[in-house]
Amino acid sequence: MKLSEIVQLLNCETLNSVDDSNPEIASVGAADLMSDVLAFGGPGMILVTGLNSPQCVRTASVVGASAVLIIRKRNVPETTIELAKELQMPLLHARMSMYKACGILFEKQISDALEEGKQID
Amino acid sequence: MLSRKGSRLTERNVDDLLEKLRGLFSDITAKDIMVTNIISLTKDRTMWQAKELMRICKISGVPIVDNDNHLLGLVSIEDIILALEGNHITDPIEKHMTKDLITFAPDVDLEGLIERFNRYRYGRFPVVDSEGRLLGIISKKDIIGAILDKFRIIYVHDARRKEVLERNVDWFDRSLISGDYVEKKSADFLFHIDYTEVDMAGVGSAKLKSYLKTRTDDDSLVRRVSIACYEAEVNVVIHSGSEGYIYAWYDESVIRVRVEDYGKGIENVEQAMKEGFSTASDHVRELGFGAGMGLPNMHRYSDKMVVVSEARKGVVVEMNFYRNGRK
Repeated sequence: MKLSEIVQLLNCETLNSVDDSNPEIASVGAADLMSDVLAFGGPGMILVTGLNSPQCVRTASVVGASAVLIIRKRNVPETTIELAKELQMPLLHARMSMYKACGILFEKQISDALEEGKQID
Repeated sequence: MLSRKGSRLTERNVDDLLEKLRGLFSDITAKDIMVTNIISLTKDRTMWQAKELMRICKISGVPIVDNDNHLLGLVSIEDIILALEGNHITDPIEKHMTKDLITFAPDVDLEGLIERFNRYRYGRFPVVDSEGRLLGIISKKDIIGAILDKFRIIYVHDARRKEVLERNVDWFDRSLISGDYVEKKSADFLFHIDYTEVDMAGVGSAKLKSYLKTRTDDDSLVRRVSIACYEAEVNVVIHSGSEGYIYAWYDESVIRVRVEDYGKGIENVEQAMKEGFSTASDHVRELGFGAGMGLPNMHRYSDKMVVVSEARKGVVVEMNFYRNGRK
């Protein structure tokens, strides 16, 4: 799935450049626990998280994720946005609940990155 | 192989070892451990052929199967000896193989395996599916191999730690894996972890990742190194209460990473190696860390890992990543 489709589906705010040049999203990994992402996350996934510190972007970058989607009512800190620019990590922000965001993506039958990672493990 | 220099593994200390480890590895099952490339024979072959096969392939037992791979019996060295003594070595296998076999289902867990090994005292057991088809063979050696493979650190770490601590050498100057003196100045990559803000954690690993990308196209290798190093760096920041260093040496076949700090150290490394064990504060947990996955994750992604620590003296984590490593 294209990142731009996810932007539309979830009515996301795009915090840095998101366009058709972004890689396809192969899977979704939802977690607030960065260690779980490190353990089971993989290339090509979009990280969906309630965490809005720079850590989530750094973790996503380390595991080779394609994008980060922050689910939060409040704004995303500047430091996080800055880091996403620096690491060239597409960063999205959706003001809805984690349940709803994941539900919408789940309906599109995108595979579960963290669950698959566990199986490989 | 396992114990201290000069002494050999005996049946007794293998049993002790298995006993100690059984709780730790409850998710290992027979199918994870069994050897699957098995040499088997059909029942119409002769005992002589079985003997020759065992001699040439250096194996101590041959499973006998039908054309659909259903397990019919097993020829052991004992059966061969009996056949030689009784002068029926040229008979078909069918007449002299052991037919009354104890087999394992593929989903028997480690605890069950150890229990059966203790109860029946055979050297090896066939693993069969619900229809009796042969899937693999398990020997005690395979169990130990699987355990070491899954948790390579336990042994290396224990032995090396004992050695370095008892000889009172400064383990900050020695490779925990090779035992050689570490020429830190020769490191291809150096990062000083001189911050205490959890928000910054990972800066050094991100730099290491960029550096490695300039050296190799092997993305999966770079990824493994970065993830493991990231966990180590986070540990320095959230646990040590001190500064630390990341060293990395790049080689064609292996990337070596060493992360050290001079902080409060790990009281109990075995405990820290368990998934879910953590001493992190609530603040750290809110930031998505401190779930007790740090050391287990480093172990998961590295090919060799040794941790040495002593309370109030700091921690040294050394990890090797081989180009042709696991993942």
